[in-house]
Amino acid sequence: MSTTTITVTINGEVFEETVPVRMLLVDFIRERAALTGTHIGCTYEGVCGACTVQIDGEAVKSCLMVAAQADGHEITTVEGLAQGGELSPLQRAFNEQHALQCGYCTPGILMNMDEFLRENPDPTDDEIRHGLVGNLCRCTGYAHIVDAVRQAAKETR
Amino acid sequence: MTGTSEGWVGSHFHRKEDHRLITGKGRFLADIARPAALHIVFKRSDHAHATIESVDVSAAKAMAGVVAVVTGDDIKDEILPMPQPVVQPALPATYPKHWPLAVGKVKWHGEPVAAVIARDPYVAADAAEAIEVDYDPLPYVGDAESALADGATIVHEDWPDNIIFQMDFTGGADEESQRAHEAKVQEVFDSADIVIKQRFTCHRCGVAPMETRGALFEWDESDGLTGWLTTQRPHIDRLALSDILEIPAEKIRIIAPRDQGGGFGVKAPFYREPMLIAYMAKKLGRPVRWIETRQEHLMAVSQERDQIHDLEVAAASDGKLLAIRDRGLADCGDGCEGVYWGFLMPFLGAVELPNAYDWPIGDIKVKVAITNKSALSPARAFGEFPTRFAMERAIDMVAKRCGMEPADVRRKNLVATLPHMSITNEYFDSGDFIKVWDNLMAEADLPGFRASQAEARAEGRYLGIGFGLGVELSGVASELFVPMENQPGYGAATVRLDPRGKVLVFEGDAPGGQGHETTVAQAVAHSFGIHPNDVVVTTGDTGTTPFGSGTVGARAGSYFVSAAVQACEFLKEKIARIMAHDLALAEASPADFSFADGFVTYQKDANIKKTFREAVERVIMAPINLPEGESGGLEHTAFFEAEKPMIAFNADVCTVEVDIETGQFKILSWTTSEDVGQIINPQIVEGQMQGAIVQGLSNTMFEEFVYDENGQQLTADFENYKLATAADVPDIKVTHAPTPCPYTPLGSRGIGEGRPSDVPGTLCNAICDALGPFGIEITDLPLRPDSLWRKIQAARGAS
Repeated sequence: MSTTTITVTINGEVFEETVPVRMLLVDFIRERAALTGTHIGCTYEGVCGACTVQIDGEAVKSCLMVAAQADGHEITTVEGLAQGGELSPLQRAFNEQHALQCGYCTPGILMNMDEFLRENPDPTDDEIRHGLVGNLCRCTGYAHIVDAVRQAAKETR
Repeated sequence: MTGTSEGWVGSHFHRKEDHRLITGKGRFLADIARPAALHIVFKRSDHAHATIESVDVSAAKAMAGVVAVVTGDDIKDEILPMPQPVVQPALPATYPKHWPLAVGKVKWHGEPVAAVIARDPYVAADAAEAIEVDYDPLPYVGDAESALADGATIVHEDWPDNIIFQMDFTGGADEESQRAHEAKVQEVFDSADIVIKQRFTCHRCGVAPMETRGALFEWDESDGLTGWLTTQRPHIDRLALSDILEIPAEKIRIIAPRDQGGGFGVKAPFYREPMLIAYMAKKLGRPVRWIETRQEHLMAVSQERDQIHDLEVAAASDGKLLAIRDRGLADCGDGCEGVYWGFLMPFLGAVELPNAYDWPIGDIKVKVAITNKSALSPARAFGEFPTRFAMERAIDMVAKRCGMEPADVRRKNLVATLPHMSITNEYFDSGDFIKVWDNLMAEADLPGFRASQAEARAEGRYLGIGFGLGVELSGVASELFVPMENQPGYGAATVRLDPRGKVLVFEGDAPGGQGHETTVAQAVAHSFGIHPNDVVVTTGDTGTTPFGSGTVGARAGSYFVSAAVQACEFLKEKIARIMAHDLALAEASPADFSFADGFVTYQKDANIKKTFREAVERVIMAPINLPEGESGGLEHTAFFEAEKPMIAFNADVCTVEVDIETGQFKILSWTTSEDVGQIINPQIVEGQMQGAIVQGLSNTMFEEFVYDENGQQLTADFENYKLATAADVPDIKVTHAPTPCPYTPLGSRGIGEGRPSDVPGTLCNAICDALGPFGIEITDLPLRPDSLWRKIQAARGAS
């Protein structure tokens, strides 16, 4: 099995690791960096969005990349959202608006919406709903997620 | 956060579960690591129905990193076959014998044939690919009607036919009484003003939670078997594993992870895969881990609904319902699935067919047929999604024939006084259906909508309004659960007081997102007069929790929380008795002590009080000078069984606009009216409703499992099995018209399980209302724009 050595920064921490070239980024994050907040829902189809992380600030589905492609890049996972133990406004809004039930899709949604709000500081509900199409949620029916994103947008502006 | 220590029940309290889940610190099955755990990958059948000629595992076994490869032949003398009593209902049915891996032949595309255990999951997957299976194909039995046709291939070859289960729900047990009852119903049909006769079909679809199934088992010679399992019923899994692996139950501990990524029914059966993983962990003496892929999940489970109903309704010209007749037929798949066997869902669907209408008489029969598909596995709105679709559509068809508003026909026929026993012997304990309905109608503004509809139609736009309603089980009473699943219905909770005045609650059921930690913490905090943050909840671990039949059938708000409250009340009495003794209040009874704001207070003299912590610490840590007959310690397990089976009720209205040129439609509004009894946490209740209705919409409009003419499953990924996204669905307005349940200590009802069931009828009724000028009746699901467009085209061509 051919391997390669990569250097990536995850939530500010540098990882230099030798990995199989076929290892997916999501598996690297979960198995090598032991950051299990990033989830696998559709098993590497890029449909469900549970594995969404940010690479250099951009939301990316980490099952659609191999780890080697992240060499030299900065990754933020859901574990990196809260700063100094303080929840981000988006995280807080998810709690206050009851925007999660089982919480399995939630990390991916947070990572996607965190970037979305930077690009769209004052979104309409329709824009939020369209911003969420890359993330499947089976529990909430999405309405409370929209409420939470709207609250976070208002508080962040 | 609002609420006081006296008012936690019904207050807005943000969920306790959330912090770990929004910071990436949840602990789901796949996040649990054991040192040197091996990985198992299943080799699954490429055929829907075929004899296994040979399985060549030599190439797989030779691969570096592979520890073991097993086939059905390897295990059939090592593991007892299913069925075993604890996962076999007490209903008369034929229960197919099966092992975790196929033995002799395969019966559906995706059935496990062999398994590879390797040190690395990637290697295990490669090795599974290297297993060569030689099949001799057999005829594919692809639907329920052909399974029952003369000369049909018999799927379970030692059976006389393909019928796993059939039942007459209304005519009694013997042939003679059934014929007499049929004749009586026929008389009503013969003299009725109006008879509706229609076939309704519901496609195969289900729940597909975002977290797939998984298992991690390890064996230790002294402790026995420990398994972490995605499951809604760990205590039942434990007993079933004990039976088939012949390991004493006391040497098995099953732990449902604290965090589970949704269940909705699909994690409730006793499945084949965990049996093999447990067996292999014991055999190898090493931990074995399985994380189901999404493809496996969509091939093997989450498939429900799949029923046909030939429904007839007799009514008077004034809209009064007179009689119902139904012949249901369900496509069960192979039926090899512990607890449910693919037929319990159609069974309960038939029980719930009459819905909340006051039928004078009915004749309801169901047959469930074995086919070459995966067994139906439970999905929220258990069995009743198809029957409720049929019923709610039929009510609208009656209304049309009577020239009445469908809303008026519903109100006229609702059961007006409770309690009520339905014609299928479903007991409706309490509530006020009319109040819920009238609350909905106040929201709906039907006259206003009819005016807007007429204006729109004048502009060539087609708006419609649709109604639906549903009676849902609020927990499952033992009197239904014992015959239905051979399991108790009681709710169980252990409440343990900590010497420092905090509370630990232990629940044997295993939630997957419903917010049990928060809901029960509010109920317990309410009872003891403390803060919900001082209540810690442990769920789903058979080593520490009392026996429970599982997180199914809306058991939490009805049975589990009630058990916890009963346990609290028991402990409060003990604390009060000892406090009365200590204070030499000879006349005091436990009822004279209040528990509020962190104090236990003698109500006849409010100066006499102790902090809750002091009162608790005294009993646990200083058990001297106690009243005669008392012992120290504060822990109690309560088993709550309601006096009567209980229900919840809801009614829905939606409005739509249909584009007649394309068949596309848009949901303009959706409003519900609910009787969930006393609400414990309003946000959690609303979240259940939003989520359930959207699941119902997703099932109705998007999801469908498709098999080709050879039984190849074509929809085993989320590209082809489409779930609703945020952009596909409306916001739901949830309103309440509650009647507290008299049979639970808080007046609460269990909610959420059956809630998707009235969605397809409500939506299709709105669309048919919009398309009234074309006389279109939707009788088949799924509801897709292309099929709607064809119906519109046909109607326009005909006119």
